[in-house]
Amino acid sequence: MKKNIITYGALLILAACNPEVRSIEKKDCCARKEEVAANPRALPSQSIFQIPDTFETQDGLPRTLSMFAGRPTVVGMVFTHCGYACPRLTTDMKNIADSLHARGDEINFLLVSFDTKRDTPARLKVFAKELELDEKWTLLHGNKDAVRTLSILLNVQYEEDTDGNFAHSNIISVLDKEGVLQYSKEGLEADHSETIGMIRQMIAAN
Amino acid sequence: MKHRTFTQKSKNNRHTATGSRCPLRLKYMKYLFCYGVLFFFPFLVRAQETAHMSIGEKRMLPIKEGLYKSFFNTGNGKPVKVKKFHLDEYAVTNEEYLEFVKANPQWRKSRVNRLFADTNYLRHWESDLSIGEKNREIYRSPVVYVSWFAAKAYCAWKQKRLPTVAEWELAANAPPKNQKYGTLTEYILNWYKKPNPAVLPAVKSTYCNTNGLYDMHGLVWEWVFDFNSYIRGGDSRAKGNEDKNLFCAASSLDVKDRTDYAAFLRFGYRGSLKGNYCIANLGFRCAKD
Repeated sequence: MKKNIITYGALLILAACNPEVRSIEKKDCCARKEEVAANPRALPSQSIFQIPDTFETQDGLPRTLSMFAGRPTVVGMVFTHCGYACPRLTTDMKNIADSLHARGDEINFLLVSFDTKRDTPARLKVFAKELELDEKWTLLHGNKDAVRTLSILLNVQYEEDTDGNFAHSNIISVLDKEGVLQYSKEGLEADHSETIGMIRQMIAAN
Repeated sequence: MKHRTFTQKSKNNRHTATGSRCPLRLKYMKYLFCYGVLFFFPFLVRAQETAHMSIGEKRMLPIKEGLYKSFFNTGNGKPVKVKKFHLDEYAVTNEEYLEFVKANPQWRKSRVNRLFADTNYLRHWESDLSIGEKNREIYRSPVVYVSWFAAKAYCAWKQKRLPTVAEWELAANAPPKNQKYGTLTEYILNWYKKPNPAVLPAVKSTYCNTNGLYDMHGLVWEWVFDFNSYIRGGDSRAKGNEDKNLFCAASSLDVKDRTDYAAFLRFGYRGSLKGNYCIANLGFRCAKD
C-alpha cells in the first residue's frame, strides 16, 4: 500500500515536472544555438559562417557553413527545376572554376537551393551529375529558415510562386576562408575576370 | 476523567474498526484519489496555461485563410493561398523586448554581432538593460531600431515566428473597425506623409482592424520573414532586356494595381532593407501557425 502511494506520488511529481523540463530543454538548445551565432570562437564578426543552421549535402551529409572554413568559397543560390537562369548561373560558376584550375582542397563551390521541398539531397545529386560537377562542389539543401537567412546575408532576393518555382536574383558571391563576404557579382554571363582575379589572390594568400 | 477515557476508547475503537472491518473501502478511496488526480492533472495544467496566456502574454488573433495577390506579379502571377495563422494583436513593445534582451545576453547592445544588427541597434535605449527612466513614455511603444535577425530571434524565443509578406499583407488589408478613417489607402497615405513623431506613441494608439489587429498601418513599419522577396526591376524603371539576365522570371514582372501607391511604397521600402538594418520607424510583431 505504502509503496503504491509512493509510486503514484512519484508519478505525479514526474507529471508535474514534465512540462517544466521540456521548456528548460528547449531554452537550453536555443541559447546554445544563439551563442554559436554570437560568440564564434575562431570566426570574425562579419563571417557568414556564423549562422548555426545545418544543411544537407547532395550525399545526405549534415553540414554547417562553418565546416567550409579554411579555404575561399564561391556561393550561388539556385533551384534545380529552374529552366532558364539557374543552369546559366551554374555554368558561369563552372567557367570560373575551370579558369582557376584550382584543386578541391584550395576552394569550395557551393550551390544552395531555394527549393526546400523538391531539391532533396537525392535530387541535388542528380543535378550535380547532369552538370558534371566535381568534388570541389557541394550542393546544399536546407530548411526555409536557413535558406532565407543565407539569402539575406548574401543579398539575394527570391520569391516562390504558386507553382513552386522561384523568381530570384542571380548573384555569385565570394567568401574568404573565414566566411566573410568579399565580393559579389550580379547577372548572368557577366564578365567574371574580376571575380577570378579576386579568388586567385585569396588562394595564393591562403 | 471518565469522559476522557471514553473518548480515548472510542478513538481506539475507530482505529481498530478501520483497520480490520473496512480495509477495502479505504484502500479503494486512496486509489480513487490517486487516479482522480492523475486523470484531472492534464486539465489542471491546461487551465493554468490558459490563465498564464491571458495575463502574461498578449493575445494572438486568428487570421482566416485567404488568397493574397503579390503587389509585384512575379513568377506565374497567380494569387498565393495563405493558410490560417495567428498574429500578435499589436507590435512588440520596448518593455517586452527588454525581457528578451535580459534572457539573451548576445542580443544586448554592447554584445550584438554587427553582421546581425548594425550600429543603430537599440540606439534609443539608455544602456544594455535599461530603456531609461527619461524614456518612460516609450515603454509601451513598439520597439524600433531592431534588425531582422533580432526580430526573428525574439519571435523564436517566444516560440513564434515572423509573418511572411503574404500573411502580413493579408492581415493588414482588413479595413478599420472605426469608420472615421475613410478608405484604408487614404489613411495609410496620410500616415506616410507625416514625419516620424519625436516620441513614438504607444501600441494600440491608432486604429483596430476587423481582424482585431492594432496599428497595422499608422504607427511603425514592420519586419516580415521574407522582406527580401520583392524583386528589383519590377518598377516602372525596368530597363528592358538587361533585367532578364538578372532574374529567373523577370519577363513576367508586372504590377498588380498601379493605383495602390501605398502598397508600392511598402514594397519599395522592404526591397531597400538589409537584414542587419536598424531603423527609427521599423518594428515587428510575431506570428504562429
